[in-house]
Amino acid sequence: MSKNGYLQIHDPLKPKGQAVGIDLGTTHSLVAAVAQGKPRCVPVDEGDSLLLPSVVHYGKDGGVVTGARARALAGEHPTDTISSVKRFMGRGPDDAETRKLGHYKFAPGANVVRFDVAGGNPVTPIEVSGEILRALKRRAEAHFSMKVEQAVITVPAYFDDAQRQATKDAGRLAGLEVLRLLNEPTAAALAYGLDKGSQGTFAVYDLGGGTFDISILKLVDGVFEVKSTGGDSALGGDDFDRAIASQVFQALGITEPSPSLVAQTLAASRKAKEALTDAPEATVTVGGQSHTVKRADFDAWIQPLVNKTGLVCRRALKDAGVVAGELDGVILVGGSTRVPAVRRFVAEMFGREPLGDIDPDQVVALGAAVQADLLTNEDRQDEVLLLDVIPLSLGLETMGGITEKLIQRNSTIPTAAAQVFTTFKDGQTGLDVHVVQGERELVEDNRSLARFTLSGIPPLAAGMARVEVRFQVDADGILSVSAKEQSTGAAQSITVTPSHGLTEDEIERMLLDSIEYAEDDIQARQLREQRVDAERVLAEADRQLREHGALVQGDERAAIDAALAKVRETAQGNDYLKLKEAVHALDETCRPFIERVMNQAITQVVAGQSVEDY
Amino acid sequence: MRTHFDVFGLPRAYDVDVPALEKQYRELSLQLHPDRVAQADARERLKALEGTTALNEAFKTLKDPVRRAFYLLKLHGVDLDREDAGAQKDMPLEFLEEVMELREALDGAMEKKDLARVQAMGSQVRGRSKAALDEAAGVLRALEGGGPAEEAPAQVRKASHALGRVRYFTRFLEQVDAFEEESLS
Repeated sequence: MSKNGYLQIHDPLKPKGQAVGIDLGTTHSLVAAVAQGKPRCVPVDEGDSLLLPSVVHYGKDGGVVTGARARALAGEHPTDTISSVKRFMGRGPDDAETRKLGHYKFAPGANVVRFDVAGGNPVTPIEVSGEILRALKRRAEAHFSMKVEQAVITVPAYFDDAQRQATKDAGRLAGLEVLRLLNEPTAAALAYGLDKGSQGTFAVYDLGGGTFDISILKLVDGVFEVKSTGGDSALGGDDFDRAIASQVFQALGITEPSPSLVAQTLAASRKAKEALTDAPEATVTVGGQSHTVKRADFDAWIQPLVNKTGLVCRRALKDAGVVAGELDGVILVGGSTRVPAVRRFVAEMFGREPLGDIDPDQVVALGAAVQADLLTNEDRQDEVLLLDVIPLSLGLETMGGITEKLIQRNSTIPTAAAQVFTTFKDGQTGLDVHVVQGERELVEDNRSLARFTLSGIPPLAAGMARVEVRFQVDADGILSVSAKEQSTGAAQSITVTPSHGLTEDEIERMLLDSIEYAEDDIQARQLREQRVDAERVLAEADRQLREHGALVQGDERAAIDAALAKVRETAQGNDYLKLKEAVHALDETCRPFIERVMNQAITQVVAGQSVEDY
Repeated sequence: MRTHFDVFGLPRAYDVDVPALEKQYRELSLQLHPDRVAQADARERLKALEGTTALNEAFKTLKDPVRRAFYLLKLHGVDLDREDAGAQKDMPLEFLEEVMELREALDGAMEKKDLARVQAMGSQVRGRSKAALDEAAGVLRALEGGGPAEEAPAQVRKASHALGRVRYFTRFLEQVDAFEEESLS
């Protein structure tokens, strides 16, 4: 097999392919990886763009299109083209966020949002995000000519358990092992911190397309300790677009816009918003009518939204036990921090000019790539460590619909808490448990995460059976639950039904579906993979010939050239088996030559050592 | 049982050198954290998860003087964190009456949206909470210092009352904070 062939032996550092960092954003997504010690973003869309618009279009023929091409189809097919899907991750169909101005058509029923799109069954936000991740994975694989199977995926720090779980599931659907869910502000700090080797306390203000985060971090001796975090997972640049669109509709007397008009107006509003960063006014044209927006007006419309971030910042500072004056720096992240009114607000809030020297669009993906490298590259393991926190308290429903907090917000993760439940009826064998996340006192005001039943409790007198339930939050901020009956020591089985997520069975089924679907064009996929393989082998052979041409002996060169030509020729064809054979033949032909190259390398290393050691 | 003090190899005591504790916490995190074994097998990863969970719990408890005091009391057999704890009902009646009056006054001030009054009550209660914690700390130091065994039960009771007061005051101050935050928004 070419997999263990001689030409590939020179890539022993990455047995599982290239580990990447992915910023799965509301508006656009990026993938980055560390190469030659530096993180870099990979071109992922038309024109070598590093930003893949987070837009997925579902065609009538069942085909899926992502990125700029999908975005271009939004005006014509508003309900089959899903943008800003991140806002729906882990949400129920009745959430206020789900009901905001948009151009989607929802399928009825279920406790998970489902978009009614062309070409088959309704899709969940997890599947739509999975398509974005799959596109990023494929493009990174093409870029590196290497498999991409492990990724660090970033999430807003303020994402709750359901949103995190949904993101992790999307990664699985895309065929990625999610090494870590990394909070976006922490990723940004990592990108900055490593660059500067700095120490101190920093605030990261991250205003993206659909989410706002603030984190206060302390960096000492290579440990990034998040002291507090806060945010609003339903506040971002999209809301700025909506503010413009609503005003434009009002000004033009449009009361009931069609989904198509909404999509067009939102797109035009986004362009106007971007133009207002440099220009004093911009024009929004909708259905042949134009409306001019002045920057001062725009600033006034978004002021309430920006003020909302200020409250969150103050609370985060308080939770961290620092005052703004004690900070060593403020880092800006997210495209929405380009809005001048936002920059002004941040500068005033923290009493200093914020740092923005790393592109605010790229900084999160770059930090994620660094973390992916730290997790997979043994040589780097003791450089840096991230200690993050859980953004929202975890609690249980008690009598009267009151929340009892078990794990306080801003606790460093991983963390755990245990709670003992007792039976209240004679012979009771089951107990219902409701887990919620949030800071409010009433259960109904918090996010419902899961309900489950502790079953199989031995029938004893009321209050005699004691069940200890343990809540463990891992380093991804994701909760798992286990239980033990204390009198018998028997472990309890718990089936957790997520309130607004997919069950394990549903995920399994989706995975199976995607595999079945993949088998339809398994030939095409194998050919594609074999071509990637061939390209890598060709490049490696060329490099070895260039660098060690002197080690080629006798008529070897002619044989190698012939084998190279054969690979190039079959790579043009459509028969992956023939291509595989040609690659294998090339490998065999090069074998004696490569062995000589390796022997020489070993001799040089040994010689080098003897000079140094003696 | 492995105590939070054991996690850091510290002797059981009320007084803790917090900057030294922080430094040790960072060093131990660097050794134990799941990120260190991201590519290892499931058993090692689980061990790292459990080790770091215990470390984080110990650090959170020991770095904070209030949590540390409650924890020491718990090691002496009184767990004030448990909702059904008998110790909570054990508070002197006159204190409970006083707390009730304080709460009524706070509710009144909040109803009138009298921020200045709420803040004044807050700073007064903060002072009393500090005094109660200091009292508990004194008793806990004596307890850990190893006085005559026959005095221990009375001292535990004394510490438990002082920390019981801290607990009531803390809840009161949480309400003050929530109100302040609401008024400022």
